[in-house]
This record gives sequence, structure tokens and C-alpha cells, in this order.
Amino acid sequence: MIDLSHLTKVYGDTAVVDDVNMHVEAGTITVIVGTSGSGKSTLLRMVNRLVEPTKGRILVQGRDVLKMPAYELRRSIGYAIQSHGLFPHWTVARNIATVPMLLGWDRKKVAARVEELMELFQLDHAQFAGRYPHELSGGQQQRVGVARAMAAKPALLLMDEPFGALDPIIRGKAQADLKAIQRRTGTTILLVTHDMDEAIHLGDRIAVMDAGQLKQYAPAADILARPADAFVDDLIGTADRPFHYLTLGTLGSAVEPGEADGAPLAASASLYEGLGALLWSGRKAAPVIGDDGAPLGRVSLSGITDRAAQPR
Amino acid sequence: MIRPGLLLRLVVFTALIAFLAMPDRFAGLLAPLTDNGAPAIYNQGSLVSLTLSHLFTVALATSAATIVAVGLAIFVTRPAGAEFLALSRAAVNIGQTFPPVAVLALSVPAMGFGEGPTRLALFLYGLLPIFENSLVGLSTLPPAVVESASAMGMTGRQRLLKVELPLAMPLIIEGIRLSAVIGLATATIGSTVAAKGLGEVIVAGLQSNNLAFVVQGGVITGILAVLISDGFQILARRTSKRRGASPQASRPATDGQQAPV
Ligand SMILES: Nc1ncnc2c1ncn2[C@@H]1O[C@H](COP(=O)(O)OP(=O)(O)OP(=O)(O)O)[C@@H](O)[C@H]1O
Ligand SMILES: [Mg+2]
Repeated sequence: MIDLSHLTKVYGDTAVVDDVNMHVEAGTITVIVGTSGSGKSTLLRMVNRLVEPTKGRILVQGRDVLKMPAYELRRSIGYAIQSHGLFPHWTVARNIATVPMLLGWDRKKVAARVEELMELFQLDHAQFAGRYPHELSGGQQQRVGVARAMAAKPALLLMDEPFGALDPIIRGKAQADLKAIQRRTGTTILLVTHDMDEAIHLGDRIAVMDAGQLKQYAPAADILARPADAFVDDLIGTADRPFHYLTLGTLGSAVEPGEADGAPLAASASLYEGLGALLWSGRKAAPVIGDDGAPLGRVSLSGITDRAAQPR
Repeated sequence: MIRPGLLLRLVVFTALIAFLAMPDRFAGLLAPLTDNGAPAIYNQGSLVSLTLSHLFTVALATSAATIVAVGLAIFVTRPAGAEFLALSRAAVNIGQTFPPVAVLALSVPAMGFGEGPTRLALFLYGLLPIFENSLVGLSTLPPAVVESASAMGMTGRQRLLKVELPLAMPLIIEGIRLSAVIGLATATIGSTVAAKGLGEVIVAGLQSNNLAFVVQGGVITGILAVLISDGFQILARRTSKRRGASPQASRPATDGQQAPV
């Protein structure tokens, strides 16, 4: 979907993005993490040419973006940012319709698409379509921002700390919703964050940036298990590592035969959630049930903790 | 419910129309201001036609100033025109600091007597408020909003017409309001070069020592200024009403919002 080769951006005499090579698979979520000022946003913004690269090449779906008119490229790529940038003088519906209108869709099709998206993002059409952005909560504004980015069904969606301004509970929900929507639509997402939890939760692959360089680019489990260098190691945080690791697996993968007492746990819950439930209820094991409620066996404390150890 | 302010304006407006339609009915009111049985109501021309040509001169000059000043503000806020910002500012400032009387004196030899020199003077005088307000309006838009417009795939022209101008509109209108009000008052000097307008009434009053003429010329001009200013303010409020507090907050202190002492 995206191919970056030798991508470089120089401001003054510092390369804020320094010779980055990267390939993003279609239909996946790739998360770019790194400390503040490491060049994440600059990298992201070169993909839709809000920033012009100093050097290098960017292919999106095999097309060289530097050879397309910028406005045409951008209409085909969704873009959502932390401060959402909604147009304050337009209603929610008009904001969401921005790109379809630019593309000249007919009115009926635009209206239908707006309704569909508002439903997808759980914004009641009757209640919110005619409101102006300043009449929404931060979480609602953020959802409208993402809906606007996805309005013309772009195959690629760029997101720069889209959930950065939300409180932890809303953020968790927004992340889960985004992931579900992405799985349903198959949109390729390139997302910037400096929250490692978010990266591990959302990312099929994680790209770690430091001082403009791509330090490691791998699936979350690999980054946790085998950090490329001291910087990546640091970013993950030694204490959190086993717990991050547990968020990646499901209880289904730790089921063992046998029975246990107490409330059953869902096989689709993460190992991390399972561990929490066991610890809190003071049990050494709990029964596991599938999505259909059928008993599958049990999970034990030791069965889960074994999976938190560094793989070798 | 009609607000008291609106009611007052309606009364004033009706009084103005009544006075212009039947000035002689008001002669008794103004007579105490005259000496030796001089006429209380201006009698060397129709007050209605003087008022209309006064308004027309201001409208023409303000429209021209709006087109030029807004156009210039748009130009210098585009990447291609950025380097002309300082130059444009200087030019517009000269237009403002050069006294309109001097413009009249200098342009009469070239343009002859009549409305021409007045319109030129008002045009030059009116550029600055519109230019400065438009400039503030166009250059203080929220960066995330402007960037979003580009990121959604708007061309430079679409961004200007769909996002930047509508968002800057309350401030631009405020500039036009200032310019029109200043123009309305300043246009009175046009009668010194034989332009038709309310200045004629005031000057005639001064020359014949008839206070009633001076008062009626001045009061009509003043009432027009207040009503027109109100009209623009309503328009500005309408364009900014829907988008929360931002335009109000970024408005330069031009209308009575005094800083705490
Ligand atoms: N237009 C610019 N001109 C000069 N320097 C810039 C410009 N934009 C960004 N930089 C610099 O480039 C570096 C990388 O910026 P960037 O915004 O990509 O960082 P980031 O990784 O997104 O950081 P954050 O997590 O704080 O958003 C920073 O040091 C920044 O100061
Ligand atoms: Mg950033």
C-alpha cells in the first residue's frame, strides 16, 4: 500500500526524518511511535504532501505521490488529527461531506454516506447532523473528524494522535471502535502516537522513530520480545513489558482442560484482562467460555504468567 | 418582543424619513437657531437629493475601497504575495495619513470640481480599516482548520472561498463598517469642491451664520452614520453567530470594548 524509500526531510541543517525505508501492507494498522520531536508527524505528513520531502520517494498503491497534483492525492487519502480541525462554520453533516462534495458526488449519494457514517460513529443523525462543531463535546468532535476523514472511502487513512485529547475511558472506546471499523472496512491506517499502550493495542505493526530515524519496524510482539536497541527498550518500559505482552494474547490461547469455580471468563478477552480478573477475585483458575457460551476448559494463573515471560 | 435599542433606532429612522419628506413641518423646531428671520430649513436645494448623493458617494468610495483592500489582503496572505505585505501596508497607511482635504486640493486640477475628487479622497481614506481588518481576519485563522482544508484536498482557491473568507468575514465586515462611517462624516468636506452632499448644507450655514443649517446637515449625517453602523454590526453578528466564541475573541478593540484601566 505504502512504500517509502530513502525518505528524508531536512529543516535548516537537521534531518528531522532521516533516510526512512518502510513498507506498509494494505489492510493493516501501522502505528508510528517515538518521543516528542522524533519526526513522526513530519513522516506522516509527507505521505499526503502537507510536507514536501527533501529527498526520497513515496509510493501509495504503486503511484508516486510526488508526481500527482497535491489536491487530487489528498482527496484519496483520509487525514485526521488531534485538534480535529473541523470547519467551525459548517454543520456536522457538511463537515463530514467535505471530500465527497469536492469529488462531485451527487447530493443523494453524499447524504446517504453522511448518514451511514454518523451511524457507524454512533452520532444520532437527527440530533447531531445540524449542529455546529462548537456545540459538540470533545469526543464527539473527534468522531466527526474521523468520520470526515473516512467519508470518501479512502483506501488509506493517516491519523496524527487522533485520540490524544480524549480522557482515558473515551480514548479506550475510540480505539476499540476504530479497530472494529478498520477490520470491517479493510482501510489501511497509518497512525502516529506517543502512547505505547495505544501502539500495542492498535498496531499490526509498530514503527519506532528516534531523532528522525526508523529504529525498529516489526509486529508488536517482536518489538516487545526483541527490542532492537536500548532506545526501543526504554520506550517500552521494563516494568510494563510483561503486561504489554499479555495484552497481545487471548485467554483462548491459554485454555487448559479441567474445571474451575466462579464466574467464567470469555475466551476472546486478553490474557491481561484474564490475569486481572483472577488476581482480583483471589482465584488460582477460572472457567473459560466461548462466544456462544459453551465451556472450553479453564485458565490458570500459572498458565497466564508463563505467557508473560520473554520468549526465546 | 422588541428590544429597546431596536425601538429607538426605528424611531430615529422614522424621524429622519419624516424630516426629509416634509422638512418645512420641522421649521418651528429649528427656528430658534436662526437670527433676523433667516430661513430655518435649507432652501438652496432639495435635502432628499443631497442626502442621496451623499450616500451614493460614500457607497461608491467604500465599495471600491472594499474591493481593493480585501483583494490586497487576500494577495498578501497567499504564499506568492507574502513579500508584498510590508509594501502594501505602507501604501495603505499613506492613503490614511494623507489628509482628505489635501487629496481634494491636489486632485481638483486633474479631475475638476464635483464628486470625483471627493470619491477619490474617501476611497484612499477608507482603505486602511478594511485592509487591516481583512489582514487580521485572514492571518489569524486557526491553523488546524486551514491545514484541514488543504488536507481534505481543497485547491488554494476552494480553501479561500469555502473556508478562509467565510471565517474572516465578521472582521472584514467590521472594517467596511468603520470605513463607511468615517466616509460618511468625511464626505461633508466634498462641498468645498462643489460635490453634491450634506456638506453643502453645513457650509452654507457657516457662510451665512445660520446655525439651523449647520445643525440639520450635521444631524442628518450623524443619524445616517449611526444607522449604517448598526446595519453592518447586525450583519457581522449574523456571520459570526454560528461558530462559537472565536471571532469575537480575536476582534481588535475597535468598538467600545475598552481595556480595563
Ligand atoms: N516547519 C518546520 N520548520 C522547522 N522545523 C520543523 C518544522 N516542522 C517540524 N520541525 C522540527 O522537526 C522535528 C520533528 O517534528 P515532528 O512534528 O515531526 O515531531 P513529532 O515526532 O511529531 O513530535 P510530537 O510527538 O511532539 O508531535 C522537531 O524537532 C520540530 O521542531
Ligand atoms: Mg507530532
